[in-house]
Amino acid sequence: MSALVVAVLLPGLAGICLALARAVVSARGAAAAGAAVSVLSLICVVASWSARDGAYAGEVDHPWSTALGLHWHLGVDGISLPLVVMTILLCVLVCWSLAADVTSTTDDHEGAGVVLVALVLVIETASLGVFSALDLVLFFIFFELALIPMWFVIARWGDPGGGRLAATRFLMFTVTGSALMLVGFVVIAVTAGTLQIPTLADLPDPLTGTVPLLGGVAIAVGLAVKTPLWPLHIWLPDAHSKAPTVGSVLLAGVFLKLGTYGLLRVFVSVVPEPAARLAPYLGALAVAGIIASCLACLREHDLKRLIAYSSVGHMGFVVLAISTMSEVGVLAAVFASVAHGLITGLLFFNAGWLKQRYGSATFDALGRGLYTRVPRLAVVLLFAATASLGLPGLAGFWGEMLALRSTYEPSPALDRTLAWTLLTLAALGVVLTTAYFVRVVRRVLQGAATPRDDDIDLTRTEAGISAVLAVAIVLLGVAPGLLTGVIEPAVGAIVQVAP
Amino acid sequence: MTALTGAVLAQNALSAADLPQIGAPAIEYGTLSPVLAITATALIGVLVEAGAPRRARFGLQSAVAIVGILAALAATVWVSIHDLGKVSFEGTDLLARGKTVAEGALVVDGPTVFLWGLLLVFALVSMLMFAERGLEGGLSGFTGQAAVAPGGAGEREATMAGIEHTEIFPLAMFALLGMMVFPASNDLLTMFVALEVLSLPLYLLCGLARRRRLLSQEAAVKYFLLGAFSSAFFLYGIALVYGYSGSFTLAAIDTAVSNQIAGQNLLLAGMALISVGLLFKVSAVPFQAWTPDVYQGAPTAVTAFMAAGTKVAAFGALLRVFFVGFGGAQWDWRPLMMIVAVLTMVVGAVVLIRQTDVKRMLAYSAIAHSGFILTAFAGAYEGSAGTATITSVSAVMFYLAVYGFSTIGAFAIATLVRDGGGEVGHLARWAGLGRESPVLAGVFALFMLSFAGIPLTAGFMGKWTVFSAAWSGYAWPLVVAGVLTSAVAAYFYVRVIVLMFFADPEGDGPTVAVPSVMTSAVIAVTAAVTIVLGIVPGPVLDLAQNAGTFVR
Amino acid sequence: MSLVWPLLLSCALFGIGLYGVLARRNAILMLIGVELMLNAVNLNLVAFDAWWGDALRSGQSLTLFMIAVAAAEIGLGLAIVLGLFRATGSADVDLAVVDTDEQADGAR
Repeated sequence: MSALVVAVLLPGLAGICLALARAVVSARGAAAAGAAVSVLSLICVVASWSARDGAYAGEVDHPWSTALGLHWHLGVDGISLPLVVMTILLCVLVCWSLAADVTSTTDDHEGAGVVLVALVLVIETASLGVFSALDLVLFFIFFELALIPMWFVIARWGDPGGGRLAATRFLMFTVTGSALMLVGFVVIAVTAGTLQIPTLADLPDPLTGTVPLLGGVAIAVGLAVKTPLWPLHIWLPDAHSKAPTVGSVLLAGVFLKLGTYGLLRVFVSVVPEPAARLAPYLGALAVAGIIASCLACLREHDLKRLIAYSSVGHMGFVVLAISTMSEVGVLAAVFASVAHGLITGLLFFNAGWLKQRYGSATFDALGRGLYTRVPRLAVVLLFAATASLGLPGLAGFWGEMLALRSTYEPSPALDRTLAWTLLTLAALGVVLTTAYFVRVVRRVLQGAATPRDDDIDLTRTEAGISAVLAVAIVLLGVAPGLLTGVIEPAVGAIVQVAP
Repeated sequence: MTALTGAVLAQNALSAADLPQIGAPAIEYGTLSPVLAITATALIGVLVEAGAPRRARFGLQSAVAIVGILAALAATVWVSIHDLGKVSFEGTDLLARGKTVAEGALVVDGPTVFLWGLLLVFALVSMLMFAERGLEGGLSGFTGQAAVAPGGAGEREATMAGIEHTEIFPLAMFALLGMMVFPASNDLLTMFVALEVLSLPLYLLCGLARRRRLLSQEAAVKYFLLGAFSSAFFLYGIALVYGYSGSFTLAAIDTAVSNQIAGQNLLLAGMALISVGLLFKVSAVPFQAWTPDVYQGAPTAVTAFMAAGTKVAAFGALLRVFFVGFGGAQWDWRPLMMIVAVLTMVVGAVVLIRQTDVKRMLAYSAIAHSGFILTAFAGAYEGSAGTATITSVSAVMFYLAVYGFSTIGAFAIATLVRDGGGEVGHLARWAGLGRESPVLAGVFALFMLSFAGIPLTAGFMGKWTVFSAAWSGYAWPLVVAGVLTSAVAAYFYVRVIVLMFFADPEGDGPTVAVPSVMTSAVIAVTAAVTIVLGIVPGPVLDLAQNAGTFVR
Repeated sequence: MSLVWPLLLSCALFGIGLYGVLARRNAILMLIGVELMLNAVNLNLVAFDAWWGDALRSGQSLTLFMIAVAAAEIGLGLAIVLGLFRATGSADVDLAVVDTDEQADGAR
């Protein structure tokens, strides 16, 4: 059995064991075990990556059901590896935060904290599965598998007021989206006669015509719900803001990436011709999302909702990059996805800590002058905000820069005039992003301090989590080559590389 | 006078010479052994009813039924190994295995054997539910004295004396016999007899609930009247098709249809009327009106047996009649079936959302799932040599397996959630079940997820197969409609899960009865199958695919 | 005799039976309606059998089968209706779909 299979399945199996043994395991112990298992799984990924030969590291391909043409087909390439590593990293940090902070997650229920850890681990397995699946149905299975535990996390551990409604809305949007995506997969599978993504990507004569176009539309809409692409994003702000901290971090850091990764892996690479026909629409919607989310952020009064809307904007940049269908576009999409995962993860951790202290993340509840009241926490928030608005030298900069760069020189799929219009508008979005983060800084961090009893600065765990993410963000900002070097050789798997 | 008699005699002698020679029929007893085993089981059950002392009857009857089913199951396996030689027809490259038996009355081919196996397993599981006596204080879930008025002194006396109707087992065996013959019929006459043999005992069984007897009896009357009504349509259809083709044999009808020997109107009317009878049995819209009432009123064990078994038998027969008999006219019936499929899915899913009773909910869910199966049927994809793409027949059979297990399991759980008045039907009273009994609620949630078609449950694999078959048959509007309605239905299933796990219980909340090993086994087996078919569908799917197409 | 006459008669019988089932509320009368429909089929089958000159007489065989099965069906149907009559004192059925739980709760 390949190390990759172990890496994918290990967290989930550990999660199931923990859930079964919830009577005898403490929540703290479970979280520690979860972190340990995630680290193990990271080691397995690294091992199979370093031992790679061929296009996909740790590739396994066993027939699963011959009647359906279904294979147990996993493998990691340069497109998926950064996302896999980021997912594991975020899960380790989530487990760490759960280990240190069991009070807020356990209540009267016996073993509830353990179950939360178990759900996080199942989500981890599902996300790793999506990032490494090379079979359409397997991709779909993992895609859906991630959904149910996340729904439980939001419904059970979310805000008492509105958490359940948000969870149901999240589930309904994503289930409908996946259902459409499934239609697309059925179409592709039946027209092409195979479910294997590498085979589909290398078809000698790619699928063209009306039927694959229909399939492509179904897949794109399904993934656009998850990404989320404006105007299908309306489930997102509520789900993010009502979810518990771990839920928001995983939603923003990992879940949205399932959508963007899917757009690359099962849309652009599998149905290139329909994708090219849909690219202008995707690009236009992406930019509409950037502008709309920035405007929403400018008048948002809840820190968590603000971060959620800003995610819509950042995902807009990713989709814009994808819609160029160029090599740089793919590079930008993956880079920006990873950067967004780290930065928004940090932002949501931060917002969660604030919410835990003050009971709510609205600006009124937070008060003013966090610089003086909780200086270290405030600095971390400032750092995350500047990273998010794309300050050069931090990871967010390269993501946005590459996305804009790819729009300047799109593939023939995107009309150049349109691309440049989109480029201008997206650049306006960058400015607006800066504006709303500056507004947050002024409103919450600066100003005359309004001290409160519960002004507690960063705890050690919180400082540790912030440090890990900050180091990663700076590292990618200073040495983007670390990531681009991994991604670039694999770009050919997604789009045709010019010789 | 003498001369007249002589003339008549002479005339008789003449016509006797004209008649075809009727020899002794050749019956393939070995190939028919599963059916014969069930017939014998039913007859032994009747004898036991007549001979055994009352005290011993219940145990004896359940043992006879279960042993008989196991024997038939063994015989089915034997038949599938020994009697399914490969047959290929001239002109086509479709794979079929099997042969016609009993002078062409029945056909034992791959699909028949698969459906027999399925029916026997479902019957076995249902018999365990029939035999459950742990929930009503040592008595079964069936009324003690069907003949006395509900709530009267006679009923109380019967309960006190511990009198039980043990005829339920032979009745169920006769119904099972009908179910097995129905999809195996090679002519419409046999099919009609099988239809009645399967229906009549079920009408009776529906009226035998111990609790809420009035509802149960009304359900029986409704089911009976509507069932007889639909049989009449079915028969009228048979008569018209006979008028068109001059034969009841499916192969002869096929020849007539392909050669277009007479006016098409007769054929079209006949097909439409036959489809009414069959669609009634699978509870497709617009013939679904009986389903919720009957599912709700019938004793839950019977509902489970009926929901799984009748659906298997009726879809088997539907497929055989339309693929074999009317295959040549598929461009006439497919558009109609597509409309029926879409209507069934939409009505099932939309009305499902409004349901507040568990058994009615499962009934509308049954309707919606009939719609999903109909998509594969309307796709009518028969496969082609060299490709492994799933055919309509295999997809339908696999879906029937998936659906049957989940639905029996869900009904088994419905028998366990009780209060002082018997089973708690109202969904609102299921609130907080997750706290009362996390395992039971978890398993029910599993069945709900399977109905919703969430991956890693059997339901997902089933949906994939039927939609894939429908798409291969160019029925793409059905695929789109199916996926969208399954998303609508998923909303409801999810709501049930939310209700069980997150809602606050109403009053004391429901109590969960502790079942005997029978019902526990049913739930364990069905849950295990639901998971296994979701994760490793390969073996069963290969079995369905290798069953090949129908023998003509 | 032309085939059309028995067919028309059978059609009329079937129609009358159909009307009976749909219009009546009394279970016994509905049963009679169903019987009429079945006998219409019998007439049809015999007519077609004679028209085809079927050597195997399969149409007539099915008619015999139907007569037997219809007898069983009536016996069973009357038993079910009798049960309902004993419980409620009437043999009326309301085939309207009851989509609420009041009925269920009332009958508890």
